[in-house]
Amino acid sequence: MAESLSDTLWDVVICGTGLPQSLLALSLSRSDKKILHIDPNEYYGGAEAAFSLQEAGTWVNRLSLPTEAGSTRGVFRAASITKPPTASTSLSFPRAYSLALAPQFIHARSELLSQLVSSRAYRQVEFLAVGSFFIIKPASAPTSAKPTIVRIPSTREDVFSTTAISAKAKRVLMKFLKFVVAYDSDPQTELWQQHADTPLADFLHEHFKMDAELQTYITTLTLSLDGRISTKDGLAVIHRHLSSMGVFGLGFAAIYPKWGGLSEIAQVSCRAGAVGGAIYMLGTGIKNTTTTDGEIRLELTSGDSVKTRMLVRGDETVGGEVGISRLVAVIDSTLKTLFEVVVEGAPAPGVAVIALPAGAVTTAGGKVSDSPVYVLAHSSDTGECPVNQSVLYLTTLSTTDSKDVLQAALGSFLTAVSEDRVPDVLYELYYEQDLGSVESQTEDMIFHFPGPSLSLSFDDRTLGPVREAWEKISGGEAVEPDYMIFTDREGALDDDDVYD
Amino acid sequence: MHSSIASDDSLPTLKVLLIGPSGAGKSALLMRYCDDEYDPGSSAATIGIDFKIKKLAVRGEAYRLTLFDTAGQERFRTLSTSFYRGSHGVLLVYDISSRASFLTMERWFEEAETNTVDGVPLYLVGAKSDKAENNREVSPEEGRALADAHGARFCEASAKTRENVRRPFVDIVDQIVRSPDLLAAAKSGRALGTVAVSSNSAAGGYFASCLC
Ligand SMILES: Nc1nc2c(ncn2[C@@H]2O[C@H](COP(=O)(O)OP(=O)(O)O)[C@@H](O)[C@H]2O)c(=O)[nH]1
Ligand SMILES: [Mg+2]
Repeated sequence: MAESLSDTLWDVVICGTGLPQSLLALSLSRSDKKILHIDPNEYYGGAEAAFSLQEAGTWVNRLSLPTEAGSTRGVFRAASITKPPTASTSLSFPRAYSLALAPQFIHARSELLSQLVSSRAYRQVEFLAVGSFFIIKPASAPTSAKPTIVRIPSTREDVFSTTAISAKAKRVLMKFLKFVVAYDSDPQTELWQQHADTPLADFLHEHFKMDAELQTYITTLTLSLDGRISTKDGLAVIHRHLSSMGVFGLGFAAIYPKWGGLSEIAQVSCRAGAVGGAIYMLGTGIKNTTTTDGEIRLELTSGDSVKTRMLVRGDETVGGEVGISRLVAVIDSTLKTLFEVVVEGAPAPGVAVIALPAGAVTTAGGKVSDSPVYVLAHSSDTGECPVNQSVLYLTTLSTTDSKDVLQAALGSFLTAVSEDRVPDVLYELYYEQDLGSVESQTEDMIFHFPGPSLSLSFDDRTLGPVREAWEKISGGEAVEPDYMIFTDREGALDDDDVYD
Repeated sequence: MHSSIASDDSLPTLKVLLIGPSGAGKSALLMRYCDDEYDPGSSAATIGIDFKIKKLAVRGEAYRLTLFDTAGQERFRTLSTSFYRGSHGVLLVYDISSRASFLTMERWFEEAETNTVDGVPLYLVGAKSDKAENNREVSPEEGRALADAHGARFCEASAKTRENVRRPFVDIVDQIVRSPDLLAAAKSGRALGTVAVSSNSAAGGYFASCLC
């Protein structure tokens, strides 16, 4: 029957099925390398996994226990689930949900999409449009008694037609957008280069005379976690956003994989690996590694002992710099107004992005938020919840108060979007995510991927280490232009069969 | 090769999976049905087959049948939820000459049932029926009883002798096309509202037209 695990000398053992490991498996799927791909978790996706409610429960319990041999805690901690008792009857069955642990949408110009297309993996993934960006303004005594939600005009037509900003502000905004078009060539470069490392907001104020509100619109488009993105990075991100607009259709700049985001891409990539001959084992970690002349011997938690020329695994460092706090909430509303099509002919978006700028949130204890809170609202079109419900993914930089800040932000959001009633929260999952190590590391024949990016949109820098690992494994055989470029696998079509 | 597939893109596409334990005879059944090939020597996992396409007409209408093999991910039971996504029917295959393979089928039914939407037909196949005379370890009655318990249909087949090879495929397609919901899903092609990423318009971007 199938070859035994321990008799084979593997070319590479890949440990973990997070996005980088899975993309590596995809990149090697047409090589004739002998690949064993394992994961200590019982599920695919690592930090990018998507869970049913039952799986989420198991995950939370597991995180509260001491880590077993062969598995690492990973980047998540302090997880808890809350189900408001009044609302729990409205929750559907556990499998009707697919909650993404670290949801990221993907800009149309992202290299990830080019690779998914050229490798043919995209065929097994369905994508939805990411629609409008919004800002929530706190209640201000004389004019509005409750927080309000305002759409950020982010297409040219939008800027013209919006009633949310003054004619003067429109002119400023247009001038800035024109500038971003060619921000990276003369004479624009000269204008911002000396401010490259200072906050974008300051630059917007000095050079475009933007008021605080317009500054907030622009910094929100950058999705900067601390709200203090530098001019250089900020302009690059906005340029990416605007140049992604319309690439795959009218009126949107980014897309999101249906059924749980990057988790789908990881699974589809692993399947491609399997089709290419890689062996898959879940619930199997590495207990022990010993390196002897040109070979690594691995003792697996399954009891198998295997030998390999190379080992690729995830980030093993824990803690490190400040991470982020996340709150996932299922609510009993379709949030229809957030998912409206604003450009005629555009597809209905499945994702909306809402920012509560720094200072916009005040906790029950009176603490004011000092960094932005971002809400990714996912409609049931994403397949992540049943119809008539939505999933909200809230993110903010971790502080001692971030759980309270996220709770308060959720409250403001729900009040701001409520029409006839404030939507009920049916389920809440809170957890924190560490930054982990930022760079890949190699020791002998072992390659470590960096920790996952905390960014809310996919960061193309994630792809560099995958290619690095691919080059290491491919060695002299690596042919650069072939990287991730494959033809379709389907066999030729047969003669018709006719049955009546 | 590409052009023939592209030209059939307009046909309703049915996604049918073959699952079950390693060695049950899934790949052999698939190869026999699609290519009328049978290689008794091939025992290693079938490498390089993602899915096979077969065009067939049932009740006067043509369909594009895509048949997905497990790609070896059944060996340690690591089929992903995304593998099951959007499937219209599932063939569950065991080996009639292996009691052990039959005994895993309850779990395979469970996996198929949790990962597919309501109404997706399941079909139990007892493979290697040519071994009935000398090596049978599972009776057809047991097979049928298990299928009945899960509301599935049942037959025995042999990739080696071609006996009944077409039957499970034709039957399951027939069941699929008789379900209005499943058929509607197959005919709509790409799910409503999803975005095509393969035709990247180079002219796209916010700046395609001038900003003045
Ligand atoms: N006698 C007999 N052997 C078969 C038949 N189908 C498959 N086999 C053999 O059973 C083994 C496993 O078959 P395979 O199709 O690879 O099983 P899979 O793991 O389920 O894909 C191979 O050695 C095949 O040659 C059959 O119809 N009759
Ligand atoms: Mg097989």
